Amino acid sequence: MNPLAAIRRLWHSLAPRSHSDIEEEFRSTLETYKEDLVRQGFSEEEARRKAYIDLGHPATQNQTYRQAIGLRPFDELSGDIRYGLRALHRNKSFAAVAVLSLALGIGATTAMFSLIYAVLLHPFPYAGADRIMNPVIINEQHPDEPQWFPLNSAQFDALRRAAPVDSLLGFNNSHMEITGGGLPEDVFGIYVTENAGGFFGVQPLLGRNIEPFDSGHSVVVLNYRFWQRHFDADPHVIGQTLELDHAAYTIIGVMPRSFAFNDTTGVGDVYLPASLMRGIGNVPYLAYIPWIKLRPDVSLAAADAALEPIVRQFAKEHPERFPDHWHLALQPIIVPYRQETGRTLTLLLAGVVLLLIIGCANCSILLLARGRTRVHELAIRSAIGASRWRIVRQLLVEAMVISCTGAVLGIGASYWLAKLPLLLSPTSFPAESVIRINAPILAFSVALALLCGIMFGLVPALRLSRNDSARMLPGRQTGVVAVPGKQRWSVLIATQVALTLLLMATAGTAISSFLRLEQMPLGYDPANVMKLGIMLHVHDPGEWNRIQSHSGRTAYIEQIRGKIASVRGVSTVAVGTDATPPYSGSEGSFNLNGNPDREQAQARVMLVGQQYFAALHIPLLQGRIWNADENASGDFVALVNRAFAARYLFPSHTLGRQLRITSLTTRNRYITTSAQSTAWRQIVGVVGDARDDGVDRPVVPAIYIPYTAEMLPYVQFLIRTQGDPLTYLHAIRAAIASVASDQEVSNGALPLDEAIEHDAQYTRQRLFSILFGVFSAMALALALVGIFSVVAYSVAQRTTEFGVRLALGAPRVHVLWVAARIALVSAAAGIVVGLAFDSFLGVVLAHWMQSNFAADSLFAAAALLTLSALLACVIPARHAVAVPPAEALRYE
Amino acid sequence: MTKPIELPQGTLEMLILKAVSLGALHGYGILLRIQQISDQRLEILQGSFYTAVYRLEQRGWIKGEWGESENNRRARFYTLTAAGKRQLKSETSRWTDMTAVVACILDKKADEI
Repeated sequence: MNPLAAIRRLWHSLAPRSHSDIEEEFRSTLETYKEDLVRQGFSEEEARRKAYIDLGHPATQNQTYRQAIGLRPFDELSGDIRYGLRALHRNKSFAAVAVLSLALGIGATTAMFSLIYAVLLHPFPYAGADRIMNPVIINEQHPDEPQWFPLNSAQFDALRRAAPVDSLLGFNNSHMEITGGGLPEDVFGIYVTENAGGFFGVQPLLGRNIEPFDSGHSVVVLNYRFWQRHFDADPHVIGQTLELDHAAYTIIGVMPRSFAFNDTTGVGDVYLPASLMRGIGNVPYLAYIPWIKLRPDVSLAAADAALEPIVRQFAKEHPERFPDHWHLALQPIIVPYRQETGRTLTLLLAGVVLLLIIGCANCSILLLARGRTRVHELAIRSAIGASRWRIVRQLLVEAMVISCTGAVLGIGASYWLAKLPLLLSPTSFPAESVIRINAPILAFSVALALLCGIMFGLVPALRLSRNDSARMLPGRQTGVVAVPGKQRWSVLIATQVALTLLLMATAGTAISSFLRLEQMPLGYDPANVMKLGIMLHVHDPGEWNRIQSHSGRTAYIEQIRGKIASVRGVSTVAVGTDATPPYSGSEGSFNLNGNPDREQAQARVMLVGQQYFAALHIPLLQGRIWNADENASGDFVALVNRAFAARYLFPSHTLGRQLRITSLTTRNRYITTSAQSTAWRQIVGVVGDARDDGVDRPVVPAIYIPYTAEMLPYVQFLIRTQGDPLTYLHAIRAAIASVASDQEVSNGALPLDEAIEHDAQYTRQRLFSILFGVFSAMALALALVGIFSVVAYSVAQRTTEFGVRLALGAPRVHVLWVAARIALVSAAAGIVVGLAFDSFLGVVLAHWMQSNFAADSLFAAAALLTLSALLACVIPARHAVAVPPAEALRYE
Repeated sequence: MTKPIELPQGTLEMLILKAVSLGALHGYGILLRIQQISDQRLEILQGSFYTAVYRLEQRGWIKGEWGESENNRRARFYTLTAAGKRQLKSETSRWTDMTAVVACILDKKADEI
């Protein structure tokens, strides 16, 4: 047939003649034929009769028409669908449970797959993001603390010329201030080498990115959030001037929201050309942190091998910046997240796949159970002439209606569920990852659900459509029927129960490890402590003269500290510079007097006032804490924590040892150091370990020195109060204002326990236990509904049998047992299998979850599951004995 | 009257096209015309006849329009479309070829081979 003809046919099928049109034509024919017959000598009545016999009834003519033009199968199918919908509507609870089972499975699986895709596989918007590497130095003595290393410009050029390097980005961070209008505002600037535009390959939202010809020009590119915050998302911002640290920069671009360079060391508010770095402060050498984009054809190992000799050369030039034994490792930029979040997400994924399987199993249990109750209906249909294919199709369509509805709901649910982890734990994911529903995964889940619908619709359909209506029809009347297909449910129920137990045990472990984290001793007491930061007035010459000198600044800070301490209800106030838990201090290198050959060791350097330990309840273990005079001078004293003493000092010879922190130098005009900040300091005491690297990572060796050793243009106060610290905020602000009325207080006043709750490690553990708890609760609910419905259906079907049993004197307990037996036995089998399986999996899971797979939570889960499975069996089974025997026998 | 002939599969549609090609007809009229031309020798079942008409219309070979019948009744008149004309032509030549070949074979006698 030519294509034109095909189109013509299609058109006629899509726009068929109307019912009334067909009927009118037929009636006209009928009349004409009748008149013909009358002319041939039939009587009026006989002619009418013969016309109907020969031509058929007008009402059926439309069917003939639709069959002739090939629309009949569609009519039947839509009839089946309508019938299926009506059947589901009649049986609402069955439909709701089946649909919800699938929707939950599909929604959760799709959401989790999408999350993993966005977070682990493709979180960064950069071109060739999987080839961008972060080179780190692995200290072979402490391989779990990788170090970044800065490059000067000669080294940077050497690295750029290396064979496996496609392009090289150098960047450096800088705290800056917006000046020239109103109050100074703190901004985080990142200087990037001028190849940034090409390196990132990200289309700016407005304007353009930094390009090689910007070298030496005062231009700035804005981060999306900064643009929103500071410029109110002004679309005409390009070409305007932004004044930073008293220098004017022309705004040339705004990056899109997904661009949040760089999440690991701090997201920049503004991006500036690296050539401008020369202009600020007195940078000892131009230091770039490198990001390497490898050539597409270079393997990671080959690149490592090729770059190692180059970095060895750098180490020869500056041996003090490298540990004794080290090797180079190129880390894909995703690695920090993959390490921290990857395992969690993979386990969650396994959890949702289990949930999907449980949902599908539940749906099939329901379909099978329901199929059994329809034996009678189908036998009648088959007896009055329905073909086997017709019945199979009917049952399949009903199953498809369920799975399609489930799929649609599941898609809707996945949009919402994918956002849930981000809401619960925003800090665990790269800021740049935009969670989108992943279409292939969605298609996969939907296909799985439809497949489940077809498979489990088909099994009962084929079985029930067997053409032996003679055997099936009298079934209800004789009362006691053989129960077909028992084994199939038993297997499904047992599987479902075993998988549910697995999920519950994992959830139990997650929750108990979260509870352990919550109760874990931190080494400090965050309750009722608030941190409050102030930014000193560096840009107001009058104010600045007063606090520029070391003694002036110390006096100013101490004055404010004293005023805050005098507020009623405030018990202790301590000064600290970036020494606020849960991540306190900054990495610094030090020398120990007495082992000059030793490599430059690293420790956390904490700049604190002498009240710090009292404010945070950190115990003094040995020696003493420095006094107020020593604090004001800032020199010659230091405290260390126990971890430091254990790693670097002999227990017999701790106090009186001397150390020197070489990095405490004045790096720009806003920083003042004490007179002899880099001189030898005596260790005057040892304090207890307070977690300084997050809430669940081990304590890093730390050195505490007076904050006056190095004073930045900002400082934080740690304020311990009686009761909720935020209620004192107003009084504290007033106290600060009484010292200097124009002294700004940062907006970030935050109680420490809240800061801990916002911490990534903490929220990740919480996320993990909440999600697993939710998944296992869903799985439990589904499994129970499955058991419940199987028992309920079988009881409903066997009412007569139970009536007979009771009438013949069977004890009620026995009837109850008969009614619940199949489900109980399969659930018990499932629990046993699940226990065995879990004990085996325990080893694997313990490794993955980095915590012990708790045997007690497994048994608690098993006990809970047993109890609820028992209830799910017994409650519907009670109907079997509740029916009076006489009524049961009369049934139907 | 001679013995009625049963139509081979598919020929009814060709006959309908031919009948309509001689002038617009309503459904029953087509039936009458075929029987009239065949001298009442064809027995056509009314049920299959209408199915054939509907199918031809759906394929776009005939086109139906409402009009007035000879005894002033509203009736649907069918005419041949351009596509129908082409179809009739090709069907006719196919039929002629086939019958010729069949006839030729049936006519053969043993000594002619």
